[in-house]
Amino acid sequence: MKYSYFPGCNLKTNAKEYEHTAVEVSKILDAELVEMPVFNCCGTVHSMASDNTMRRIAPVRILSRSEEHQKELEDTNNTVVTLCSMCSSTLKVVNEEVKEDEEMLQKINWQLERDNLKYSGHSEVKHYLEILRDEVGFEEIVKKVKKQLKGMKVASYYGCMLLHPDKAKIDDSETPTVMETLTLALGAEVVDWPYFKTCCGSYHVVDKEDIVNNQILKITEGAKKRGANAIITACPLCAYNLDSQQVFLQKKGIIKETIPIFYFTQLMAIALGIKLENFEDHHVDPKPLLKSLGLI
Amino acid sequence: MSFEYIKIGKEEKEFISKIEDISGQNLYACYQCGKCTAGCSFSNQMDLTVNQVIHRLQLGQKEKVLSAKSPWVCASCLTCTVRCPRDIDVAAIMESVREYILRYEPERIERMKVTGEKAKNLPNIALVGSFRKNTEL
Repeated sequence: MKYSYFPGCNLKTNAKEYEHTAVEVSKILDAELVEMPVFNCCGTVHSMASDNTMRRIAPVRILSRSEEHQKELEDTNNTVVTLCSMCSSTLKVVNEEVKEDEEMLQKINWQLERDNLKYSGHSEVKHYLEILRDEVGFEEIVKKVKKQLKGMKVASYYGCMLLHPDKAKIDDSETPTVMETLTLALGAEVVDWPYFKTCCGSYHVVDKEDIVNNQILKITEGAKKRGANAIITACPLCAYNLDSQQVFLQKKGIIKETIPIFYFTQLMAIALGIKLENFEDHHVDPKPLLKSLGLI
Repeated sequence: MSFEYIKIGKEEKEFISKIEDISGQNLYACYQCGKCTAGCSFSNQMDLTVNQVIHRLQLGQKEKVLSAKSPWVCASCLTCTVRCPRDIDVAAIMESVREYILRYEPERIERMKVTGEKAKNLPNIALVGSFRKNTEL
């Protein structure tokens, strides 16, 4: 099985290892992510203003380009797969909106005409976690595990955009289980904690760092207090905030110990026997933990 | 104890309907239970709590809402939206206040001043997200 995969901008810059591990893992699981030949930025945040069509053009452009791509792929369905949870949420919301509002879709298609694009409204947007749960299945993943992640105590951090809004959620928005089940499938221990969807502060890191630091302190201390030795996430912005701001807080003397942040695909790669060498996206060095557990 | 004279005249009604137009929400569906504020990750950073913002909006108190920091502290995590027992898209109301302001004063962040080592390392989605929320772009 192959999927039309929309990377978004961050997977090519700050989160290269997320993309690399996801693509490698997808090949092993026979649910391959094939990158769209042409794509653009989705706009990151979906517009909640009811009268702003302009901000809905970019996501629809991506959906139409993916439809073209789906025609070229063999053994595929009408799915666009994303890894970044902000892309996932934005595309899903706009996809639902244009499905409900034919007039808006017509207006946007008129804008896409000059690029010879047209969106039919028949694609489905899915986050890769949904593919793993619904189409690959966790039993299949268990079968492919070569190295159990013994000793890893993992806190799953969903962030906001995997669970909000209702149009875009990939799981129950108050009691999600997909990342925890995946953690168990890989042989790691699940840490139960209350901060799995406490917002990290998101784009406030650009000009209101205090807000972000406040959140990061709450989230990381909360994970450590409950015995976690790693946090996993699916969002490049959550990962950046959790990772870089921990280093900042440590330099300021506000926290003593840091906790490494992983993308869920990195843990999958280790468990499925892919050798990981590149940790340059990380701010908190994860190597000491992985070495002490004999995982790299 | 101080008292305030509350007036809901033409100007107030216009403001209310503009916010309702942008957000697509009915402000009077809110019965002030406070669940949005209770679940908000940023309540401790806000000068007006989320339900207070909505209350001021219901009364059409434009100055109080537009001068509040709260809409700019909101990071659109949408926890309030998914929890509202009246099915109000609370985050869209916060967005509509930001939009209302941005349509008159387009720049809340000076893009050209985001420079230096930190800016180089920032994820694209942080920059795009911030500029989309803080400018009319």
